[in-house]
Amino acid sequence: MISTSPAAGASAPLLSLSAVTKRFGSFTALSEVSLDLRPGEVHCILGENGAGKSTLCNVMFGVHKPDGGAMSYRGAAYQPSGPADALAQGIAMVHQHFSLVGDMSVVDNVLLGRGRGVLNRKECARQLAKLATDYGLPLDPNAKIDDLSVGERQRVEIVKCLIRDPQLFVLDEPTAVLLPDEIAALLQVCRRVAASGRAVVLVTHKLAEIKEVADRVTVLRGGRTVATSDAPARDIDALVRAMIHGDVAELDGTAASTLGLGKVEHVGHQPPPRGKVEALQIDGLTVKDRQGVTRLDNFTLTVDRGEIVGVAGVEGNGQSELAAVLAGMMTPTSGRYYLGEADLTGRSPKEITAAGVGIVSEDRHAVGCVLGMSLAENIYLNRLDEFTRFGFLNRTALQRDATTLMRRFDVRARGPGASFSSLSGGNQQKAVLAREITLPNLSCLVASQPTRGLDVGAVAAVYGHIREACGRGIAVLLVSSELDELLSVADRIVVLYRGRIMGTCPADPARKAEIGAMMAGQAQ
Amino acid sequence: MTWELFAVFLGSSIRLAAPLLLAGIGEMVSERAGVLNMSIEGMMLMSAFASAVGAWATGDPLVGLLIGIVSVVPVSLLQAFLSNTLRANQIVSGIGINILVLGATTLAYREIFGARSRAEIPGLAKIKPPLLGDIPIIGPAVFEQVWLLYAGIGIIIITALVLRFTSLGLAIHAAGAEPKAVDKSGLSVTAVRYGVVVFAGFMASLAGAFLSIGDIHTFTEGMTRGAGYLAIASVIFGKWRIGGTTLACLLFGAATALQFQLPALGVNVPNALLIMLPYLLALLAVGGLVGRQMAPATLGEPYRR
Repeated sequence: MISTSPAAGASAPLLSLSAVTKRFGSFTALSEVSLDLRPGEVHCILGENGAGKSTLCNVMFGVHKPDGGAMSYRGAAYQPSGPADALAQGIAMVHQHFSLVGDMSVVDNVLLGRGRGVLNRKECARQLAKLATDYGLPLDPNAKIDDLSVGERQRVEIVKCLIRDPQLFVLDEPTAVLLPDEIAALLQVCRRVAASGRAVVLVTHKLAEIKEVADRVTVLRGGRTVATSDAPARDIDALVRAMIHGDVAELDGTAASTLGLGKVEHVGHQPPPRGKVEALQIDGLTVKDRQGVTRLDNFTLTVDRGEIVGVAGVEGNGQSELAAVLAGMMTPTSGRYYLGEADLTGRSPKEITAAGVGIVSEDRHAVGCVLGMSLAENIYLNRLDEFTRFGFLNRTALQRDATTLMRRFDVRARGPGASFSSLSGGNQQKAVLAREITLPNLSCLVASQPTRGLDVGAVAAVYGHIREACGRGIAVLLVSSELDELLSVADRIVVLYRGRIMGTCPADPARKAEIGAMMAGQAQ
Repeated sequence: MTWELFAVFLGSSIRLAAPLLLAGIGEMVSERAGVLNMSIEGMMLMSAFASAVGAWATGDPLVGLLIGIVSVVPVSLLQAFLSNTLRANQIVSGIGINILVLGATTLAYREIFGARSRAEIPGLAKIKPPLLGDIPIIGPAVFEQVWLLYAGIGIIIITALVLRFTSLGLAIHAAGAEPKAVDKSGLSVTAVRYGVVVFAGFMASLAGAFLSIGDIHTFTEGMTRGAGYLAIASVIFGKWRIGGTTLACLLFGAATALQFQLPALGVNVPNALLIMLPYLLALLAVGGLVGRQMAPATLGEPYRR
């Protein structure tokens, strides 16, 4: 059954939170959240981006001090003074973003912060070998972190925690960067850790994972507990409703696939107005970094007008370099690319924009916008000269036009003059997309990770706009690490692995396993 | 060049490299943990002055050295406080400290010594290590050095071992490369970074004392003449490794020694050019020869959780 209050514990809870509140300035991240964690269970925390999941974990781990409420751990009051205190009491956490030292070995990363004096690397390697067999976490203790895959790095993070023998093990969105196979293995690890009598907290926004591994689920929305369930597999529809505050049936197919609802379906789009016309032509792009390592290897691809081509792959396999080259932010070592007849290789971002390529960059804060400027200024950042007379900016016209765009793209903000940093991630991304899609002579759109960090509603909106642009005959190159989204929205998918194209195949959800294998470097 | 002259050149290269080496290794440890100490120059000057005054006042150079070491502690704590707690710009705060120390030591020097600027200052003893020191020609010229240099070499070897084999070494490396990892492992990034700045200050104080009571037994206003900046350059040139930093210091030392050797050989080069040589080398080293990607990832960036 689904209830709005935490269920009464069957066994004594290991950690219990009652009415915990956390505020950042005037923003309430957590509002009277109550939660019991019992030994031997995998407890999933479900919620959209911004629901307060990470804040909740950080409160448990002592990173943030709660502003209200109380916590008790093993029956005694629990007020951790910091992560060190939480660790000492047997609470360990794998954070959403890795914090590993790239040029140190696995053993050294595990040893960091443990013990004093002379290091005993041999003993630590022996412990690692034991953990590897106990939980199924194989690792080469002497490998450098920089040489490891994302999945292996995550194993290091997990081992770093397990070697401390924690009673409570918190994982904050650990599956976001993993391959399908690696996700399955990680969920197995969670089960094994719970089976050894510890409590596991797994934060996620993917329902497939909950179905597979959760004993109990707590759903957060807007910093509040909105539902709990002791039988998640049965209550899954109700849990989704609670999470997104709407009905699953109402969800757009692409947005539903964001949640990993298990039923990824291909959502088509309007066919291009004319027949097959090549728009973007990429011919043998190769990028070597300063150390001479090949980051992108002979990348060749053609995108037709009105076609969406998805670039899949685990992050760090050349996608960033590809996007940077196409945006004019990086000069390729060799290879060329063309828009129609025009050779755009090595041109400046300004020339590329003028040629009709819209760029939605992977890191919108660093490259895509200027946080300190207003929404209106950002939404017309690449065309501010159109609003300039005799060197002066016509702010009235700028604000008027920006308001029109805001309405068309549903960018919600106090007004066109609002500081860009005051907008939510979803609204920032919609504004960036509005700017790039409304380029006057747009004929190609390169979008990298356009839905990263967005909630379901914003994801649906972003893909709606991309599909609409495509229907007008725009060629779209969509780079994303969310395979389910690509399967849903793209026409074709190319898979990048270590900078090379491993294979190309139609975006057919039935071929997900095949694409997953290619992402892991297995040629088909 | 005759063997005698070469031995003298080698000996004076080492002697002139010694203060760079002491300060450079301290600075390297600090930079590995992510803190850039532009104030090395000021710390050296502070210690050069305080140890000279101490040795002069007590008549005992060892007491002078201790006073020099202690005098730098407040300076390094100030630098650590500015760059870690207040998260000030490390370059600007370091240069500020350098200017402050230059002014303070100059003023105090004139107040204390005034006209008696030829005052006799007792200096640290030289030692001649057995075996090495007995090698004909090379022995006395190369190996007969102030004992502080040998003590410093010992400290540098210990530093290398600590960095390589202890948990403290891991913490220092990680604090510069990925401070979040240090924080999440339960250690304090701030504590590590305070520690390395104080260590850099300690090493700079040895370097400063070496200049005044080790090498020439006197103090002159602003006598470090950019040695602290050369030490920082040697860290960059040495790619943040102990061996590399040591070699870079020896190179700068040799370049300085040429000033005295070339005229002795009768080579006619304007002295001003020779004085510029080590600084020119440093500019080349920092500007062209080394890629920035070798630097610790968060060098110069205050840590914010």
